[in-house]
Amino acid sequence: MSNKKNYGMVIDTRVCVACSACVYACKQENNVPEGYCRDWVVQETGGEYPKLTMENRSERCQHCDNAPCVTYCPTRASHYAEDGTVQINRSICTGCKACLAACPYDARFVNPEGFADKCSLCQHRIKQGLETACVSICPTGSLNLVDFNNIDQKTKQLLSGKVVYRQKEHAGTEPNLRWISASNKPGA
Amino acid sequence: MLATAVNEIVSTKLNPNVVPHLHIWEWHIPLYLFLGGIAGGLLVITSVMIVLKRKFGIGPRDEGNGCPCLAVRIGSILSPTLLGIGMLFLFLDLAHPLYVWAFYTTIQPTSPMSAGSWILIAFFPLAILQAMLVNKRQLRDMNIELVNRVIDWTENHMTIVALMNAHIGVGIGIYTGILLSFFSARPLWSSSILGMLFLVSGISAAAALMLLLAPKDEKPIYSMIDANAIWIELMTVGLFVLGGLTGSANSHGAMMHLITGDVNLAGMSYMFWFWGIFIAAGLVVPLLLEFLEAAGVHIRFPNVAPVMVLLGGLVLRFLIVFAGQTYHTFV
Repeated sequence: MSNKKNYGMVIDTRVCVACSACVYACKQENNVPEGYCRDWVVQETGGEYPKLTMENRSERCQHCDNAPCVTYCPTRASHYAEDGTVQINRSICTGCKACLAACPYDARFVNPEGFADKCSLCQHRIKQGLETACVSICPTGSLNLVDFNNIDQKTKQLLSGKVVYRQKEHAGTEPNLRWISASNKPGA
Repeated sequence: MLATAVNEIVSTKLNPNVVPHLHIWEWHIPLYLFLGGIAGGLLVITSVMIVLKRKFGIGPRDEGNGCPCLAVRIGSILSPTLLGIGMLFLFLDLAHPLYVWAFYTTIQPTSPMSAGSWILIAFFPLAILQAMLVNKRQLRDMNIELVNRVIDWTENHMTIVALMNAHIGVGIGIYTGILLSFFSARPLWSSSILGMLFLVSGISAAAALMLLLAPKDEKPIYSMIDANAIWIELMTVGLFVLGGLTGSANSHGAMMHLITGDVNLAGMSYMFWFWGIFIAAGLVVPLLLEFLEAAGVHIRFPNVAPVMVLLGGLVLRFLIVFAGQTYHTFV
């Protein structure tokens, strides 16, 4: 057990139905302006007919342990929080957009109010002992908030024996989002 | 049958800054990079000219009373002026310009933008001092108490000021390229030679500008500096292109996107801008013209070559900034 948290997510694509509830829950919870989003849903189809495979997944900021946005930020506005997440201090963000260019996941946008914006992993809710808005609304249990410094039994079982991947690990970012591949589905 | 295999991704992501491709910097940034490059180049050239004249007696005749030749005097004034204008564009590009002070509350060693914002500030005192010292005769005529005291205090140390400025000028020139080249997520920009490319491009553009401004008897030296800088720039851009082409799939694809790209920029494809405007019209043709002129051939419009060099430098900045954004993110 570690006292220091390192929050991230385990996203089970086997059960994701791409309903976009996570996207709209987030927009409401975080007052995301119209035309922008902090999380989004991807549907990836691959293979060769008739042997096609499809994976639905929810994506967002990966709260990297080695985040290029933090490295590049000239004012410390983008920073690592105590709980292992990557946060933005709006009161010193100049909107220079270096973090948008630095992010290999294109997870950020410029809020029309003049600061870089992205998923905060609902830090304000985690502080109250709640789960993130997206996790709390997910109707199929695809989304799971996980403290990777203290992985609980439920998550261990969920991950056990599955093909689990992270995105663009070779970018050296140490991302904290893990997807359980749809290739784990029976018959895939 | 691989040909029939599909891999299609449908996403609900909306954010116009990153969908369908990165879209964060428009004309402000390339214009700033261009003006910053010229400002750095002007500071390097004028400083080196001052040192060469003072220490080795090389260069155009001084105007007397400790003032160097006319082009050095004008160049020294233009350098901080152009950088000031460039910084105005940089400022206007910020999504929240009123928080610009936040750059100066910290030094972030891993952030080129942080280093750059400090070097921009460090630039002004010495660059303005140099502009004052080389124009001290005119300033003394104006007889302003504070200005007189600054000149009295520093005029015997002009060589040291110029030596320091030569280095700061190189720093500014390189920084304009490094600003982009540390983004490993953007394959076209992610080349460490971009700093050198922007530095030599800035020096050649600055030499071209001084060539335009210099009186007739001072022109040959700037033509020579310009021709040499263009040579080095051609080599550097060659290395930049080859480095991209021989790199990973990311780098290779990004370089092909630039040099053979059919993306439209102001009515022409990237390919045409790169080879036709930047390489041919901005480097090769002016190099030939300056070479012929130095060889004694009469060129009817001697201002054409430097104007083409300046245009080429501007096009380079626009091309790199835009093509770097329209190519896909690191995969």
